[in-house]
Amino acid sequence: MIAAVVVRGASETGHSRALITLRALLPHVGVIDAGTFACDLAGTERVLGAPSRIARRIVERLLRVDAHASVGVAVTPFAARVAAERTGPCETRLVTDAREYLAPLPLEVLPLDEKLSEELALLGLRTVGDFAALPRGAVFERFGRGAARAHALARAEDDSYRGADHRGALPPENPPRRRICARRLWEEPLASRDQLIFALRSALDEISSALAADGLAALRLAVKLEREGAEPLRLERAVLPPTRESAALVRSLRWALEERAHLGRVIGCAVEVREAEPARGRQIGLFAADGARWEEAIASARYLREKLGAGRVLRARVANADARLPERAAEWKEVSS
Amino acid sequence: MAETVKKGSAQVGATALAEAITRIETRYGTRAVLRGDVAERQDGERRIASGTSLDRVTGGGIRAGEPLAFVGPVTAGKLALALRVAAGAQRDGGMVAWIDPSASFDPLAALRAGVDLDRLVVVRARDADEVLLAGAAALRSEGFRLAVVDTGPSFASRCAVDDLAPLLPVVRGSPAALLVVAEERGRRLALPLVRVEPLGWRERFGRTVGWSFAAAAPASRERALFAVAALGADASDLGTRADLLELAS
Repeated sequence: MIAAVVVRGASETGHSRALITLRALLPHVGVIDAGTFACDLAGTERVLGAPSRIARRIVERLLRVDAHASVGVAVTPFAARVAAERTGPCETRLVTDAREYLAPLPLEVLPLDEKLSEELALLGLRTVGDFAALPRGAVFERFGRGAARAHALARAEDDSYRGADHRGALPPENPPRRRICARRLWEEPLASRDQLIFALRSALDEISSALAADGLAALRLAVKLEREGAEPLRLERAVLPPTRESAALVRSLRWALEERAHLGRVIGCAVEVREAEPARGRQIGLFAADGARWEEAIASARYLREKLGAGRVLRARVANADARLPERAAEWKEVSS
Repeated sequence: MAETVKKGSAQVGATALAEAITRIETRYGTRAVLRGDVAERQDGERRIASGTSLDRVTGGGIRAGEPLAFVGPVTAGKLALALRVAAGAQRDGGMVAWIDPSASFDPLAALRAGVDLDRLVVVRARDADEVLLAGAAALRSEGFRLAVVDTGPSFASRCAVDDLAPLLPVVRGSPAALLVVAEERGRRLALPLVRVEPLGWRERFGRTVGWSFAAAAPASRERALFAVAALGADASDLGTRADLLELAS
C-alpha cells in the first residue's frame, strides 16, 4: 500500500519539516511535488499497525509541526494521491479498489495536456472510467506515450512511486527534451539518388521509433550529407502535417533531394529533428494495412502530377453506365486531394 | 560481435548491426530484412487474392514485393483478370495505381469487375520513361498495394515488357505488387507470368458475343477457366480444369 500525504499551502520550510517528520515515522518516503509525499507502507504493518492507523498517525505527527495534511491510502500511488487531494485537511481516506474509486472521477484528475483533454471530450469521454475502458494499444498508437501513461494511471496500473525522488529533492518541472537524431556512415560512397534514399530509410526508421517512444511528431527535419571531396550538403525540410511515420519522412526528404540536380558522392548523413510537437492521432489510416494508406497514395499521385503535367494522373468516375458512347460513360478528374 | 560486447558497449554492436542492415537494404530494398514474426505476419497479409480460381494458379495470390505478368493475345481476357486482381487488392482498403500508356483504361469495365474507382489512380504515361517514373513512384510510396502496367495492344504500345527492367529492383523492396499486362513476354526480361489464352468463341448471327479463356502458369498443369457470356459483361469463374474434371466424373 502507498500513503500519499498532501500538505496544502506548504512553504519551503513547511515542506522540509513535513519531510523530516515523515522520515522519522516511516522507512520509505519519496517527494512527488512540493508538499506532496508518497510513503511506501510495505512491511510496516507489524510494527506500525494497519494502513488506516498509520494514516491517522501521519496526520497527528504532522499537526505537531503545524502541517495540516490529508492522507490517502491506496494500492497505487496515483489513486492514493488523488484520494489525498480530494480529502479535507487532517482527514484520511482508505481506497480498497483503486480502479473503482477512480472510475467516476472527471478526466481532469489525470495528467493530460489541454489538447488531449479536448480531443477526449470530443470523443465523448468524460470520466476516468471511460478513458480506462479504451484498449491500451489503441491509446498508445493514437495519442502517444504521454496518454498511454495517463491511461495506465486510469487503470490503476501505475508504479510511479519508483519515480518519486527519495533524496528529498523536488523533481524538475520541465525535464529537458532529448535530442532526436540519427547518423549513418557508409563504407562505399553512394552515387545515385535512389541508393541514398534507400540508405536514408534506416536512419529515418530510427528517428521514427524515437519519435514514437516520446509520443512526438516531427515538424522540421534537418539533414547533413557528408560528401566525398565536397562540402557537406545541408538541407532543412518542414514536414506538414507533422508526422512520425517513417514513410512520410522519407517522402519529404526524397522531394528535397530531387530538387537538387547534383548530390555528389555521399559517404554519411546526420538526420535531426529540429522541431517536434506532441503526436496527434488520425482517425483514418492509423491501423491501415500495408499499401492501404490513402494519404501516401494521394501524395505520390500529386508528385507524379507535378512531374508529368496536367491531365496525366487521373481518377475516374462512371457518370452514366448506359451511355452509348464509352467516352460519355466516364468522367475523369485530376488527382488533387 | 564478441569483441564489441567485451568493450562494454552494446551501442557499438547495435550500430554495426544497423549499418549491416542498411547495406543490405541499400542493395536489396527496405523490406529485405525483417524480424521473423513480422515476416510471417506479412507473408499472409501481403498476398493479393483475386477471389477466383486464378489464385490456385498463382499459388494463393500475387505476393506484394513481387512482379507478375499476364501475357496473352488481344481480347484473351488479360484485362478482365487484371481488374479482378485490382478489386482483390482493394478489398482490404488498398489503393491501386493503373499505369496506362495506351490510354485504353475503361472505367465502366473496371466498375463491373468490382473495382472501387475512388481507390484507383490512373496514370497516362506517354512513353517508357514515364511508365518507369510512375511505376517507381507507386511502388516506393507505401500507399499502393498494387501497381498495374497495361502495355496496351501491340500496335498502339508505347512501352514493351523489356522496358520495365528498372522496376524489378524497386518492386522487391515494395509493399506493393507489380502486375504487367502485355501481349508478349519480354525477350530479355524474364518475369514470372501467367499465360492467358482464348479457348472458344460464342457467336450469334455471325457476331462474337462471348468467349471462354484459360489462365495458366507455364510450369503448372493447373488452368483456371473463365467465360465471358456477353459483350461488356464481367468474366465468370468456371473453376480450374481439375474442378471441371471432378464435376464431369
